[in-house]
Amino acid sequence: MEKLTKKLSENILDKFSMDFLRSQVLKNAYGNDDTVIAALDPRVLLAWYLFFGLVPWFVNDIPFLLGCFLLVMVTTLLARVAGLVLFLFALGVFTQTGYLFLVTLLFGGDASAIAPLLVLTLKVATISLASVTVFSGLDPDKLSNGLMWYGCPERLSFSISYAYRMLPMLMEEFQNVLLSYRLRGNPPAHETLGGKVKYLIYQVKIVMQSFYPLMLNTAKRSRTTVEALELRGYRYAAVNKSVKKLKLASLKITCNDGIFLAVSLLVVAVALLISTLL
Amino acid sequence: MHAVEIDGLTYTYPGAAQPTLKDISLQIEQGDFLAVVGNNGCGKSTLCKVLNGLIPHFITGTFEGKVTVGGLDTLESEVAELARKVGYVYQDFENQIVRPTVLDDASYSCLNYAFPDYMERGKTALRQCGLEGRENEYVWQLSGGQTHLLALAGAVSLQPDILILDEPIAQLDPMHADRIYEVLRDLNENHGKTILVIEHHTEYIADYCKHVMLMKDGRVRWMLPTGEALQRVEELEGCNIFPPQVTQAAYALRKRGSLPADAPLPTTVEKGLKAFGSLRYIPGPAASAPERGGETAVSFQDVTLSYRSVKGEPRTVFQGLDLDIRKGERVALIGSNGAGKSTLMKLMVGLLRPNAGTVSLFGEAIGEKRAEDLSRQISLVYQNPEEMFIKDSIRGDIAYAMEVRGIPDWQERTDALLSRFRLTGLQDRDGRLLSGGQMRRASLAIGIALDPGVLLLDEPTANLDIATRREIMAVLSDMKDIIQTAVIATHDMQLVCQWAERIVVLCGGKVVADGPRDTVFSHREVTRLVGIRPPEIFTMAQALDQRALCYTVEEFLDRFQEG
Repeated sequence: MEKLTKKLSENILDKFSMDFLRSQVLKNAYGNDDTVIAALDPRVLLAWYLFFGLVPWFVNDIPFLLGCFLLVMVTTLLARVAGLVLFLFALGVFTQTGYLFLVTLLFGGDASAIAPLLVLTLKVATISLASVTVFSGLDPDKLSNGLMWYGCPERLSFSISYAYRMLPMLMEEFQNVLLSYRLRGNPPAHETLGGKVKYLIYQVKIVMQSFYPLMLNTAKRSRTTVEALELRGYRYAAVNKSVKKLKLASLKITCNDGIFLAVSLLVVAVALLISTLL
Repeated sequence: MHAVEIDGLTYTYPGAAQPTLKDISLQIEQGDFLAVVGNNGCGKSTLCKVLNGLIPHFITGTFEGKVTVGGLDTLESEVAELARKVGYVYQDFENQIVRPTVLDDASYSCLNYAFPDYMERGKTALRQCGLEGRENEYVWQLSGGQTHLLALAGAVSLQPDILILDEPIAQLDPMHADRIYEVLRDLNENHGKTILVIEHHTEYIADYCKHVMLMKDGRVRWMLPTGEALQRVEELEGCNIFPPQVTQAAYALRKRGSLPADAPLPTTVEKGLKAFGSLRYIPGPAASAPERGGETAVSFQDVTLSYRSVKGEPRTVFQGLDLDIRKGERVALIGSNGAGKSTLMKLMVGLLRPNAGTVSLFGEAIGEKRAEDLSRQISLVYQNPEEMFIKDSIRGDIAYAMEVRGIPDWQERTDALLSRFRLTGLQDRDGRLLSGGQMRRASLAIGIALDPGVLLLDEPTANLDIATRREIMAVLSDMKDIIQTAVIATHDMQLVCQWAERIVVLCGGKVVADGPRDTVFSHREVTRLVGIRPPEIFTMAQALDQRALCYTVEEFLDRFQEG
């Protein structure tokens, strides 16, 4: 019991350290460029996502949804998605539908509420996992190239890959600012329960206050970045059609893309068949 | 044809009362390797931004005169056009890198300017900058020196005729600094590039540059061949530029009458060997070994630490590290970029937890300490002072730790600290808006506000010009009486020699040498292995006499007399 309380009292910042967060973000973005999913053409994956991200909303057929769910589960596994993302996914699904079930029980409902809720859960889970597959299975550059091919403005696709480039730096800076608070601040004692609550509030406050120096430091850094982008022809490229062509020349549809689409199609077809047979 | 021609240039920043550049006229020859020197704020960086067209096309202001770069008039050409003539590497070069992988970044400009062979061009640039074989690495895996080479490669990829580098080696250890300059020399000699560096390190100017240009108050004072320029010791020192230590020593000797007045002053160790040939070494009293003993302040016992990496095996930084730092010691931690100096400091403040072993502070394991006790016992001043500014004025920052602890006379103490670090006049300014030296002083004041038992300083003199560096060094020696135990991680060997009692050399996660400066620097194997370089004057003295251990120009002058 004592051990348990000790564990619980380890503060959120320790458990959920920026270091951990940073490595998870990087892992998610770049750590799995050697997976089957990452090798696929981004255009194919985006088209695939369009189907699995939209269609489940409009279908209420359980076998079909189950089939889709199993498929996206396999693709998520293939994409070797980082642990943190999966955790957020689980949390997301629960907050979407799990609490509905609890509320139903609270207001006198019974187990019969499970079936309709299951449908909803399946929908949400399928769509989330499809997103996870596409957005974390692909590295940001491929993703932005794919988006650009479909006609998204160049600035959006640049922003995506630049954000990923900046994130590790931002997080390191954030970590250092937090450390400043930790080394110089005076957190309330947290031996008692009341103290623990106060401590939690204190920590949340610190995290919020840290944003101010973080933003100012980032603004200071970005002065150089803006000038460098100008020198490196960023603005020049944004209006130049041949640059876009050059960038997209690297996209290629391969055999694997065909197989991937075929397997997906097969699964969907089988799921539909089963649902008509039942 | 001249690479650069400037005629009657006067430039005023928007909103500024005084022009930053005043009536500048000059020509830079094709194939020159030019060092631009001058005080902080004398307009060096502004001049460089004029050359690549950022001024006046991107940064407006009042622009008079004519600037021609590679035959193009900068007023009539676009930044994009000029970027192919002039490459620019910023002082804070890491912010100039915008792509995640090495090859991507090196070829980014070429892609933007729609060169079909952009990948090839990127690869060529990487080869020229010595980054071959790292094409697919991610930019955050690179060391500081490599990141700088990558920024350079990004500029080189467009194959401009002129390359401009703003303080290329300010953050680098000597080995990486040599690398950068070797690459620059190669680009200059074998690829015909004209190179401009803004540089404070006159030793490097003496070794590599062909010409030196001195700027003062927005004007060009002169432009001379390097050998001649470095002779002007008084004038340079008047602008806070300090000639190589060998030249300083020769200048002092000449004043003393030990060297003939008409012979040129030596600028490198080789030339010094000839010029100082007539001097004789007079052994001084042997340095007394400092006493070891006393209470242990920080102790590392069998510490192992590895980092999670994005991919593959975690990277081991320390393996079974043992180290004791005793109360009252002034320790310098040295080692190349990436040897684990900063990591060691992070372990001491409990930011990182070792995978195995214990780190203890005053006999108590750090993991078990309350944060409040910890901050009284140890304090860390970051390499990047901006990250220490958490309030909107430096007064608020210095007071913060005392205020939240309700220290009785915190107001008075804050005033005292402000005046001690000569910050009283700036107390309401945001720390981020101060100059480099002021930011350092503010960060030191924040660091000692709680009278910590141990003060850790990460690279306190990095990124500072020599004058500011001297100032910070003076502040540090001034603090000797109030701080018992201090640890500095640094590449700055002059600082190490003047300040530290004990030097700990880290290499490959291990302590490879540990002791007073005589022990460490006379240990040839270690200095070679780790790539640390003693101050130039030390090398000079060694070259003259194996027994001589001189760390400052003054010591050299005492020990070497006319024979």
